[in-house]
Amino acid sequence: MAKITIDGIEHEFEEGKNLFEACAEANGEKLPHFCYHPGLSIAGVCRMCQVEIEGVPKLVIACNATVRDGMVVHTKNDRVKSTVKNILNFHLLHHPVDCPVCDQAGECSLQDFYMNHGLYDADIDIDDKLAKGKVKPIGELVMLDAERCVLCARCTRFTREVTKTDELGIFHRGNHSEIDVAPGKTLDNNYSLNTVDICPVGALTSRDFRFRKRVWWLETTDSVCPGCSTGCNMTIHHNEGTAYRFKPRENMDVNEYWMCDHGRLLYKDIMTDARQTAPTVGKGDARTDGSWERAYARVLEMAEGKTLAFVGSPHATLEELFALGRLCEVAGGKWIGARLASTEVGEADDLLFSADRTPNGEGLRRLKAGEFSLDELRSAATGDHVLVVLENDLVGLSDSGVLDGFAGVIAIAADANATTEAADVVLPTLKYAEKSGTWINKNGRAQALAPAFVGPAEARDALRIASELAETFGHTFTWTDAAAVLTEIAGTVDGFGALAAGIGPQGVSLDGTPDAPAPSGGEEAQA
Amino acid sequence: MADFPKILSENWDVENSHTLEVYESHGGYVALKKVLTGDKITPEALREEVKTSGLRGRGGAGFPTGVKWGFVPQNIDKPKYLLVNADESEPGTFKDRFIMDYDPHMMIEGSILSSYAINANDCFIYIRGEYGWLVDRLEEAIEEAYAKGYLGKNILGSGFDCEMIVHKGAGAYICGEETGLINSLEGLKGQPRIKPPFPAVVGFLDCPTIVNNVETVASVPWIVNNGANAYAAIGTEKSTGTKLFSVSGPVKRPGVYEIPLGLPMKELLMGNDYCQGMKDGVELKACIPGGSSVPILNAEETLACNVDYESFAEHGTMLGSGGCIVVGNDANMPELLKNLIQFYHHESCGQCTPCREGTGWLDMILERMLNGEGRPKDLELLDRIGNNMMGTTICVLADAAVMPCQSFIKKFRDEFEALLPDMEEPEDYIPTTSSAELPR
Amino acid sequence: MSDPNEAARDDVPVDGAENGGADTAADGGADDASTATATGAFAFSPEREEKFQELVRRYPTAKSAIMPTLWLCQDEWGWLKPGVPEWVAERLDVPLSAVYEIIHFYTMYYVENPGKVNIQVCRTASCHLMGAQTIVEHLKKRLGIEPGQTDAEGFFRLEEVECLGACGMAPMLQVGKHYYENLTPEKVDELLDQWRRDG
Repeated sequence: MAKITIDGIEHEFEEGKNLFEACAEANGEKLPHFCYHPGLSIAGVCRMCQVEIEGVPKLVIACNATVRDGMVVHTKNDRVKSTVKNILNFHLLHHPVDCPVCDQAGECSLQDFYMNHGLYDADIDIDDKLAKGKVKPIGELVMLDAERCVLCARCTRFTREVTKTDELGIFHRGNHSEIDVAPGKTLDNNYSLNTVDICPVGALTSRDFRFRKRVWWLETTDSVCPGCSTGCNMTIHHNEGTAYRFKPRENMDVNEYWMCDHGRLLYKDIMTDARQTAPTVGKGDARTDGSWERAYARVLEMAEGKTLAFVGSPHATLEELFALGRLCEVAGGKWIGARLASTEVGEADDLLFSADRTPNGEGLRRLKAGEFSLDELRSAATGDHVLVVLENDLVGLSDSGVLDGFAGVIAIAADANATTEAADVVLPTLKYAEKSGTWINKNGRAQALAPAFVGPAEARDALRIASELAETFGHTFTWTDAAAVLTEIAGTVDGFGALAAGIGPQGVSLDGTPDAPAPSGGEEAQA
Repeated sequence: MADFPKILSENWDVENSHTLEVYESHGGYVALKKVLTGDKITPEALREEVKTSGLRGRGGAGFPTGVKWGFVPQNIDKPKYLLVNADESEPGTFKDRFIMDYDPHMMIEGSILSSYAINANDCFIYIRGEYGWLVDRLEEAIEEAYAKGYLGKNILGSGFDCEMIVHKGAGAYICGEETGLINSLEGLKGQPRIKPPFPAVVGFLDCPTIVNNVETVASVPWIVNNGANAYAAIGTEKSTGTKLFSVSGPVKRPGVYEIPLGLPMKELLMGNDYCQGMKDGVELKACIPGGSSVPILNAEETLACNVDYESFAEHGTMLGSGGCIVVGNDANMPELLKNLIQFYHHESCGQCTPCREGTGWLDMILERMLNGEGRPKDLELLDRIGNNMMGTTICVLADAAVMPCQSFIKKFRDEFEALLPDMEEPEDYIPTTSSAELPR
Repeated sequence: MSDPNEAARDDVPVDGAENGGADTAADGGADDASTATATGAFAFSPEREEKFQELVRRYPTAKSAIMPTLWLCQDEWGWLKPGVPEWVAERLDVPLSAVYEIIHFYTMYYVENPGKVNIQVCRTASCHLMGAQTIVEHLKKRLGIEPGQTDAEGFFRLEEVECLGACGMAPMLQVGKHYYENLTPEKVDELLDQWRRDG
């Protein structure tokens, strides 16, 4: 270990540690910077993170320096502060003051640094700022405004090192340098919106998010992407009950700094017209909205003299699957399984997008909640069984007649689909963004959901539905919330002991091992 | 001045001096044979010899060549590369082209020896694209060398392989910067790299690489043939050997002269063997001795210097690439400065912010000053921008722009002031910071 | 190498009906729609093809061979016509952005026809001191064009360039591989006549 002094305070770090990171840890905040990103190679072009190292005549960029025992570093003395201001001045020279019309306002590094390190009369005494390509769609999801660009080269490094697709380049030289796509190319890979995340200014912005909401109105809730079994950590950005975007959340064991566009755009599906907002009873033209009492009464009617059959879902949380399983027990029912085999799979890519397109496929496997074949489903569909299906569009995933053999179908669902169409009773439930719960990703990592929204007034948490249905069978579950269910799972189910202490924001590996992280340019390129 | 050997330019007047035949008949490739055959000389011994000779990089940096070669780690299992920097683009410099035109084999032999010294089996000659005819000349000479067995596999039965490729540049001054050259050769834009790591350890394709100037490698055969001490006996203690000096501007005989380091500037500019003084009707006003990127000297300072690294440094400038631009009293200094700054603005690679924005800004200010639209604080602004550019960038192009900018204004301030309305020294003039700071 | 998204890119409507966007920075005038589909339309002469194969053999990586390949193309066709950069990217199996970054970084690769006689006058430092502007003005008058322009017949083009490394022989200019040094307006006139004669 090396002892170094940063701003007068002694710290201990590993010898060879990146000095930018060391300063960030020591000071609790990052040095001003544009081009440095831990997931990308070191560029060293913005010159903002310069610090003074005693014994070295010139200032040194911290991002390209490493900790050496005995180093004495100053990040805030007059010389450094003055230099940072002057470098910032160079960045502002040709920058169009687009703030009133720029989406980046409120989360813009130029603005932030100006407030923290500038706040001066920038003596930008020039007549005309350089004009470059403005308002230029370079992909379906990404808009380019080259005048705003500070040429940090994060986006080009991303397409070169992470996606390895090389759509972007910096063309020409000197102050005519300009970011663009190569002629005839578009930035349309499945990770294009990550460039918008990492662009420190408003040069690359999301066309999907464009002009929809000023970022200072947005609240954030940490969650997990529902799009596949990688379980990229993400954050829901929302305001007044509406989601506006997802952004990736750092987790070095899962997705590092990135998430794919497919998952990112799923925010649109949280609340759509397909949402089930009230319990329904009856099929086709006879379907009516009802109260929960009426719906439960109908369920009891249907269950009279029949055996209930249960199907879970690879989208449901661990807690919901467990609760459904316990409901099955107390109702003396037949458990068919939690997933129709070989459905909801696609092609995996080299990065984050998994073949298993469900967020809890691994969870149901470890819970032994079971996969079943279409044949198994058909053979279970007999006249003395009534199906209770949780968040699983069996009809949509197979064929229209697959459930006809059952005496009746009770669907617990958030959105309308072919299965809810075929159901006699539909019990509306909550989505991942509206509840607490746990998903297990493909590598056995348990990750926690948190509610960002309340959900439709008449929709109920599936745990609550399971408890209420259990009551009708004369059993009282003692859990009051998802956390209580999780405790029980951790205590009673093999392989889930690691969850006894709960799950933090970075998740917990069930196997006690870190995941194989998603490949990125950072480590290889920095080696 | 005592007689000194014309190490580099001895054969330039000989007809067909560029051919292998003529080169060999004048003692060419003897050094190569001395090193690779008979008693042989090991790479380590060759490095030591060149170190002792005191040969310094002739491209502009002046770093001791033997020492630089020693930075290559010999114990790592990666191919090593010798890159010869023939990108000669420093304004005022036109000496490497003469070597390549009149004695390409000297450069080739020197390159093979330099490759051997660092155990490199691959040598690229990066030549600026504008020297189109020299690319042809070099390729012909290289073919001759291959045919004679001086290049290729198992040279002269020594077991040493050396492949040589001429790589043509395409118009970018920054590719003369050694890491810019390396990047350009790799097929990236010719933008310099951040250091560390250093090219000797992590260079071309992440392998150990040495970049040497044409004149530097061309000096090596003579050192091998005559010994390090003979080389060190020429010139001064710290600036040994001879140097090719390019002289241009309104002198009677501009051109490339091989001179022993330490020669007085007065002799170079006025001497009968050299430039023979200013053209009729023109007086010496100033001189930029080392290529445009070094501080300018006024007439008095110019004539007080000797041509060596130390003397120029003492007078606040640099030997640099030895591209001496002589300025006569018919020259307008603001126009000349604008011309130079425009060059740096045009040639900035654009990677790092202070240089990219700073060179453009300096150019813009000088332009408006010359158009009669200068503002009273423009000289202060030029100074401040310069201070904020120096020492804050990836490579020294920024410094190269600032040195003429600051030295021109310092030494010829009245010509600049004449362009500005009502020049007044601002009361709050602080050279290195912004003029107004709000309390935090 | 045709890109199915190419058509979509230029006329995708943007919220608020802003304009559809400026030209690609990397276009440099090659707006030709044949860019994306012309890759099969190019071939080197047998001599140059041989040189290309040698290049690919001797250079250590595909990317490092881009510059010399572009030179071969420029030698072959005089300039990098629409589709040529794409063809190079395909033949070397390198990203198109890498090829265009190189093309636009340097001054000597042309994506517009540089005319038959591309007169490049050095304008820097010593040439400036020794009368480069006189030469430029003279050429402007004789050819009736400004620097950066080609004449009406597409024959002469005039360009001001940075230091060519002929400072002691200033003023001077370059056409193709040749340097013409120690110029006077009279010498320039002689050269113009000579070039017109040689076609």
